Amino acid sequence: MIGIVVVSHSPALAEAAVALALQMTGDARPAIAIAAGAGDGVIGTDAVRVAEAIDEVASPEGVLVFMDLGSAVLSTTMALEFRESTSEVRLSSAPFVEGIVAGVVLAAAGASLDEADREASSAMTAKNAQLGTADPPLVPPAAPSDAEAVAEATIVNDVGLHARPASVIVASMAAFDASVTIADADDPKRAASASSLLALMGLALGKGTRLRISGTGPDAAAAVESVRAMTADGYGE
Amino acid sequence: MAGTVTVPQLVDWLHRFAASVAENQSYLTELDSAIGDADHGSNMTRGMNAVVEKAGEPSTVDALFRTVGMTLVSTVGGASGPLYGTFFLRIGTTAGSVGELDGPALSAALHAGLAGVVQRGNAEPGDKTMVDALTPALDALDAGLAAGDDLAVAARAAADAAAAGRDATEPLVARKGRASYLGERSAGHLDPGATSTALLFAALAEALE
Repeated sequence: MIGIVVVSHSPALAEAAVALALQMTGDARPAIAIAAGAGDGVIGTDAVRVAEAIDEVASPEGVLVFMDLGSAVLSTTMALEFRESTSEVRLSSAPFVEGIVAGVVLAAAGASLDEADREASSAMTAKNAQLGTADPPLVPPAAPSDAEAVAEATIVNDVGLHARPASVIVASMAAFDASVTIADADDPKRAASASSLLALMGLALGKGTRLRISGTGPDAAAAVESVRAMTADGYGE
Repeated sequence: MAGTVTVPQLVDWLHRFAASVAENQSYLTELDSAIGDADHGSNMTRGMNAVVEKAGEPSTVDALFRTVGMTLVSTVGGASGPLYGTFFLRIGTTAGSVGELDGPALSAALHAGLAGVVQRGNAEPGDKTMVDALTPALDALDAGLAAGDDLAVAARAAADAAAAGRDATEPLVARKGRASYLGERSAGHLDPGATSTALLFAALAEALE
């Protein structure tokens, strides 16, 4: 199981965030270490304590570190120079509370460092999707110039490319050895990987949007055609 | 010509810096309350008081600065901890296990310190940070040494350049740290980090006089 380190200016904040996360796990819990405060009740962060926390929960599967703001990040990057353990350490860019909850839940479920990190750092995208606000694509789409297959199709669904159609696209991608990008043909900067549910939802593509579907890889042509066909078909709705 | 700096002189530098920070605690905090979180004066005073307590009388430059760096990292609390901590730790590792430094060795160590600060904070000159005082200070030190000035003279020039660098942060818009949250509103204030760095070089010049 990966280890979790929580770095905060405030011990109370860190403890509360961890308690919240542990509400959502069962009996299997990852090792969690808190490095918060600068000692003697001082609000702040201490790189030496962060290094000790990393060493405390170090495991062969790696350590995921969540930080609040400002010096928490500086102290943690510095701690990487002090720590004695050698397992991989990843600094999560996730927002503090959402990241800790996602990271702890995923770690408890036996997720790899990559998986837990990815899920935690998608928290902002998920929240933006929930609020209907914009966010950069979760998985960077491939450069259009590299595309080996391209097609266009127009969204016919009344509510656009919402969660269910997005999940249909993502699920279909598993069948292909290809990397497919879906973009708004009239605004190609608005693009997302067809394998990223949250990124596709984040584009908030409405009814009537013309999609540019492009792909690379051995199955590019079949994958692009599949997405084109399901788009024209309304994703089975 | 030339000249060297010994470990006791370096300890004296740090004592002078600690005294200067304590003397200017309210001023640094006042600067920080304008564009930051109003803790630079108290954080640096707490950190440097701990340094004075722990510095002792080490025999080598690297031992001294390792203690200084680690102490700051553990006691400052704010961003200045890892930044000044990195600065002093890099100085120590670059200087090595020696009892004194000549001008070029001191310059090389300070440059390693600056590189550490830049790496830690991702700041560039003009971002309204301590880098804006550090960079011109080292340029002036190097220019003085290259011209054959005595180390004490070059250190005085470095202190003057750090002060000028500090003053030049006033109109800048902060691009790093807490002050960057203020955007344009950060202009019109001296940067607290550049201000404490100017005190650091003023203390060095005094210690070498």
